Amino acid sequence: MTPRRNQLSRLLASFLGNPTAVLGAGITAFMILAATLGAALMPYGPDHTDFLDLLSAPSLSHPFGTDSFGRDVLTRVLYGARVSLLLSATGIAIAASAGVALGMVSAYKGGYVDMLLMRFADLLFAFPSFVLALFLMVVLGFGALNVSIAIALTYFPIFARLGRNMTLLVREEPFVQAARLMAEPTPLILMREILPNIAAPLIVQATIGIAFGIVIEAGLSFLGVGVQPPTPSLGVIMADGREYFARAPWVLTMTGATISCALLGLNLFGDGLRDLMDPRLRQRTQS
Amino acid sequence: MPRSALYLTGRLAGALLTLLAGALIVFVVIKAAPGDPALAVLGENARPELVAAFRHAHHLDEPLGVQFWIWLSGLLHGNFGLSLTIAGGIPISELIAARLPITAFVGLYAVLMAVAISLTMGTVAALRRGRAIDTLATSIAVLGISMPDFWLSYMLIFALALGWHLFPAYGFISPMDSISGAFHSGFLPALAIAAPMAAVFSRMLRTSLLDTANREYVTVARSFGFSAPFVFRHYIFRNALIPYVTVIGLQIRYLLGGVVVIERIFGIQGLGSLMVDAVFARDYPTVLACTIVFLTVVLLVNFAVDLLCVALDPRRST
Repeated sequence: MTPRRNQLSRLLASFLGNPTAVLGAGITAFMILAATLGAALMPYGPDHTDFLDLLSAPSLSHPFGTDSFGRDVLTRVLYGARVSLLLSATGIAIAASAGVALGMVSAYKGGYVDMLLMRFADLLFAFPSFVLALFLMVVLGFGALNVSIAIALTYFPIFARLGRNMTLLVREEPFVQAARLMAEPTPLILMREILPNIAAPLIVQATIGIAFGIVIEAGLSFLGVGVQPPTPSLGVIMADGREYFARAPWVLTMTGATISCALLGLNLFGDGLRDLMDPRLRQRTQS
Repeated sequence: MPRSALYLTGRLAGALLTLLAGALIVFVVIKAAPGDPALAVLGENARPELVAAFRHAHHLDEPLGVQFWIWLSGLLHGNFGLSLTIAGGIPISELIAARLPITAFVGLYAVLMAVAISLTMGTVAALRRGRAIDTLATSIAVLGISMPDFWLSYMLIFALALGWHLFPAYGFISPMDSISGAFHSGFLPALAIAAPMAAVFSRMLRTSLLDTANREYVTVARSFGFSAPFVFRHYIFRNALIPYVTVIGLQIRYLLGGVVVIERIFGIQGLGSLMVDAVFARDYPTVLACTIVFLTVVLLVNFAVDLLCVALDPRRST
């Protein structure tokens, strides 16, 4: 067995030994499967209306009940989860690639570039995240794509900071020095030597970031400034359920419960991954 | 000047610079927003001379730099300009003066709740580490973090307002009218905002307490034969509070974000609902003003946290 594979199997064993992490990974995997494939298994379409079956309570044929148009809420939640997950993941992907790239360059260059970029990140970070997202929606205009951009801009400073701090830790390591001595071009050093060695905390942050993005999407769409109906997103369905919450509480309740489950899975998974990568921290917090 | 004063002056200067840069950025960015404010107020078919007069009255015909300067010097005098569409022509400062105390009340109420819950939960979890109650507290904390506050609001409304009629489901009595009424009608919104924060705080406090308990000076104190409660109070708790207080400062960003949605849900006429109304009305100056006020609150709270940290641990300032 090569050393690398040995290390991987050790990581896997340690991951499987952490019940919360496994639970988190399980919930997350189930949620992703449900969001991607689940909708296809449902007998109804997301816009299939049945005016003989309005606002009916959860039952076997409609596990999450129906809404004011007689649409099956579970089907809509599955479609909505797909939209919400896609928007959040897109936003976080943009935030991660832009933030990490700038953070790495910032740490590697130092000097003015570093100071300016980090001040900018700090500035964005000082705004209340949801207020910043709301402000961006006014400037960009309401709509699904702009939700992703708002998520990206509000989460960008976190990745920029993290990317910078991790690069500072790694850049003095012997293998980076060696690459520099061999006169490897800077972009190559950043991509081949540094990035793989700082990837772990970035992945943890991305997991938590996707949970954050889902909440931002739901919040913006819930207020009516995010994804616009009839496109179902989790926030849109909740905003809809809010209208008749007293008469049919299940629409909002079940949609929110789905979000909570997804967040629970992502949070547990993220915590588990973090423990895995930093055994010292785990010892400190658990022993 | 003592070191701590020097340190705090530096922090304050940094906060003011951040505020200035923040004001510049949001001002420039919102000028790029679609739509002409003049047409938004006067209608699409307004007569050109009216539009020109409006643009002149609101300094929209000046270069961007001059516009920013006029706006900024007004800001320094507490003058945010005039609202456009939301409350036609009323000074925004009046709107904010009416709304800010309400948001401040709900926000403080939520922070106090979160602190009360987390001090109890975090301390109990740390003292009974590994026992059932620790597992319970930790599980509740993970659940708390995973519930979006606006969803939690509705669950609270469902159980405590529609079910048991303990609290009103909608509406808020201003603390200026009735203090007890404000505490009663503000309970559900404050709890909805507080719950996720309490979860974060108590996790932080637990970690921080356990971390501090393993420090050498604590072992030394124990070896002197001090009683466990004495060591806890004087050696562990105080030092563990520093990261805890810092996290409270960091969470203010999320708290204020939560306030925006929760105010809408409960019909609280605070700064958050003012901002959302302004967003829908495309009242750019009001959106701008609200954003700046929110930023100022974050910076003020973080400065207060700095003060508190220096008071807790004078070494910090060196």
